[in-house]
Amino acid sequence: MALVNLTGIQAGDFTVLAEDQTPAEGATVAVPLSRLRDEGDDFFKVAGPVGAVLATDTNYTDLAPLMNKLAFVVIDFPAFGDGRGFSLAVRLRKDLGFKGEIRATGPVIPDQALFLLRAGFDTVEVSDAREAAFKAALKRFDTFYQTDYTGQVSLAHARHGKNQERKAS
Amino acid sequence: MYAYDKYDHALVNSRVAEFRDQVERRVKGELTEEEFRPLRLMNGLYLQLHAYMLRVAVPYGTLSADQMRTLAHIARKYDKGYGHFTTRQNIQYNWPKLSDTPDILQELADVEMHAIQTSGNCIRNVTTDQFAGATADEIADPRPYAELIRQWSSFHPEFSFLPRKFKIAITGADIDRAAVKWHDIGLVVKKNDAGEVGFEVLVGGGMGRTPVIAKTIRDFLPEKDLLSYLEAILRVYNEQGRRDNKYKARIKILVDALGADEYARQTEEEWQKIKDLPIDFPAEEAARIKAFFAPPPLQVLEDNVPAVDELAKKNFIFGAWLKNNTNQHKVPGHVNVTISLKPHGGIPGDATAEQMELVAALADEYSQGELRISHEQNLILPHVAKKDLPAIWTDLDEAGLGIPNAGLLTDMIACPGLDYCSLANARSIPLAQELGKRFDDFKRLQDIGPLKIKISGCINSCGHHHAGHIGILGVDRKGEENYQLLLGGSGAEDASKAAILGPGFDENGVIDAIEKVVAVYLGERTDGEEFLATYRRVGPDVFKEAVYGTR
Ligand code: HEM
Ligand code: SF4
Repeated sequence: MALVNLTGIQAGDFTVLAEDQTPAEGATVAVPLSRLRDEGDDFFKVAGPVGAVLATDTNYTDLAPLMNKLAFVVIDFPAFGDGRGFSLAVRLRKDLGFKGEIRATGPVIPDQALFLLRAGFDTVEVSDAREAAFKAALKRFDTFYQTDYTGQVSLAHARHGKNQERKAS
Repeated sequence: MYAYDKYDHALVNSRVAEFRDQVERRVKGELTEEEFRPLRLMNGLYLQLHAYMLRVAVPYGTLSADQMRTLAHIARKYDKGYGHFTTRQNIQYNWPKLSDTPDILQELADVEMHAIQTSGNCIRNVTTDQFAGATADEIADPRPYAELIRQWSSFHPEFSFLPRKFKIAITGADIDRAAVKWHDIGLVVKKNDAGEVGFEVLVGGGMGRTPVIAKTIRDFLPEKDLLSYLEAILRVYNEQGRRDNKYKARIKILVDALGADEYARQTEEEWQKIKDLPIDFPAEEAARIKAFFAPPPLQVLEDNVPAVDELAKKNFIFGAWLKNNTNQHKVPGHVNVTISLKPHGGIPGDATAEQMELVAALADEYSQGELRISHEQNLILPHVAKKDLPAIWTDLDEAGLGIPNAGLLTDMIACPGLDYCSLANARSIPLAQELGKRFDDFKRLQDIGPLKIKISGCINSCGHHHAGHIGILGVDRKGEENYQLLLGGSGAEDASKAAILGPGFDENGVIDAIEKVVAVYLGERTDGEEFLATYRRVGPDVFKEAVYGTR
């Protein structure tokens, strides 16, 4: 497996905790959300930086109580066409104000590289065979029609020099 | 018409380069068919029964004479000399070679066309009224909004992998020629009491195996909020639409499960959070795009043209064409001409390269170099001076395009069916051809009056049979092609779902049944009453009795 860094963030180096495994002291761990919700303060005291592994059908409102405890988030795509992963990343940035790393895992395809970046992902775990294609795909387009939640303002604004604008009402 | 700027060009050209690379990897065997499939679908390339099929968008059905000539050139150079215009204002080529498709897309890009998002689970080609910007009964031209939506929906970072395909239609007229109530989102341009432009927003329409008519979730959405509101609708759908069963994945199922009021509430709640972010187009951009659609400078002319009336009196076919195939233009003395692609015995929606070139030449001479495609699979010359009609009709007639049947029984919609489509249960095209031959009498057709027949080769309903005054649905009955007859549907502002009349028929049987249905109508109608109105008034029983009674 290779890690493609989309945003240049300092990417986390973590192990995924099994169901009944206790974290080593100070270790960076990724934990399925279902378990994380049941863990008390002790867990977070023992472990180092903690991340949540999210299924694409996670409701973002369930994450709100964890926001100040999470260092990073992993969104695990069961299939590349499961577009809920994109909305979930958007929710993390837009509704929850999450600033940490968002990583995509699962069978995403190189042609999604820019979509992932623009939805708010920082990193993608890919097979070694796909690493080059992912990196090439990142360079394919440099103009975008939409305003997104990563700071990109739509071409409709850029055309009129309104790259910084808020909507006039 | 909209003209690309350097950014639009760059985007479309990058897309062609990307696709060329993908096709090369596929041809070399670096990509398996399974891996290639989603990539080709995002570029409108399907695998059909016998060959690849390429679906090219004609955004909101508007194109220039030069673009039409390119479509003709592609048909000749890369296909078998013809193309098929579809109900979604697209053109399909049935026989391209895989290795040629990147070149085809490049030729299209050179004339500002593309096949982006013509298939796949994304926001598809936005469709609209074929007479947009030209018809007398219009509140505002919907095409600038369609173009704004086209740009916003192209390569959307969040909404390119939806639960299912997503179709948006918009109309600016009271008479709905775009079937907006049958779309995932329907938009109706309106003016409020202050004279400001906005939209009525409908969601959850769709055909397929569960036909549903869209419901209004907002009576008036200000123009400036269009894109943020669409974003809110799409986010609710992307998060909650079903992904476990593709037959239950369309937005109509979610709207039904939540209820339209709840869908509206969730949309409103999300929209309140984002409406002040710079998601919507700035006023300058709306103005820039609207300027491309400024009405052409037409002179006000006399509506009465004696030479036209004289020819109509002398020549029945021209008279019928004048009545059926022209629509009153905003500017007096002008009309919009429907060129019927439904010759009796022909394939609905097909046009040869030569026919496309003739129509392009006519557009240059008579319609400001502009053309339209209707969802009823016909071509339109907008902005035509009435006095030019005899000359236009004569040229069309010589090329087999002067058929006066727009809106009549033989102006059928038909899907490709079993002749091309791998999902089909039954053939649609031969049935349409036979129907055309059976009703090949223009005096009779004129007497029957407006009647829309729509034929689908399977329940996916690409041929809109649910919305047909008479709908025909191909089913498989113990391995035999069988046709069900449906009555009473409408795709217009009075949208309704057609209902199955009774047991199905073979090809000849269904045509006989239609004869009987028409006979009942002619017997029951009151003065000037059209087929659909009679059906709605008298109900299905008389029709049932006439069709099945003697069995
Ligand atoms: C290779 C040929 C085609 C295939 C495999 C195909 C496939 C499908 C499928 C699976 C559906 C059902 C979607 C759903 O219910 O979620 C559908 C619906 C539809 N297709 Fe096609 N189609 C083909 C050709 C066409 C053509 C030629 C047209 C236009 C003339 C067309 C227009 C439509 C329309 C209007 C619908 C109904 C949309 C709705 O459900 O609201 N399709 N098609
Ligand atoms: S309605 Fe069925 S047969 Fe006709 S084109 Fe669509 S999928 Fe094919």
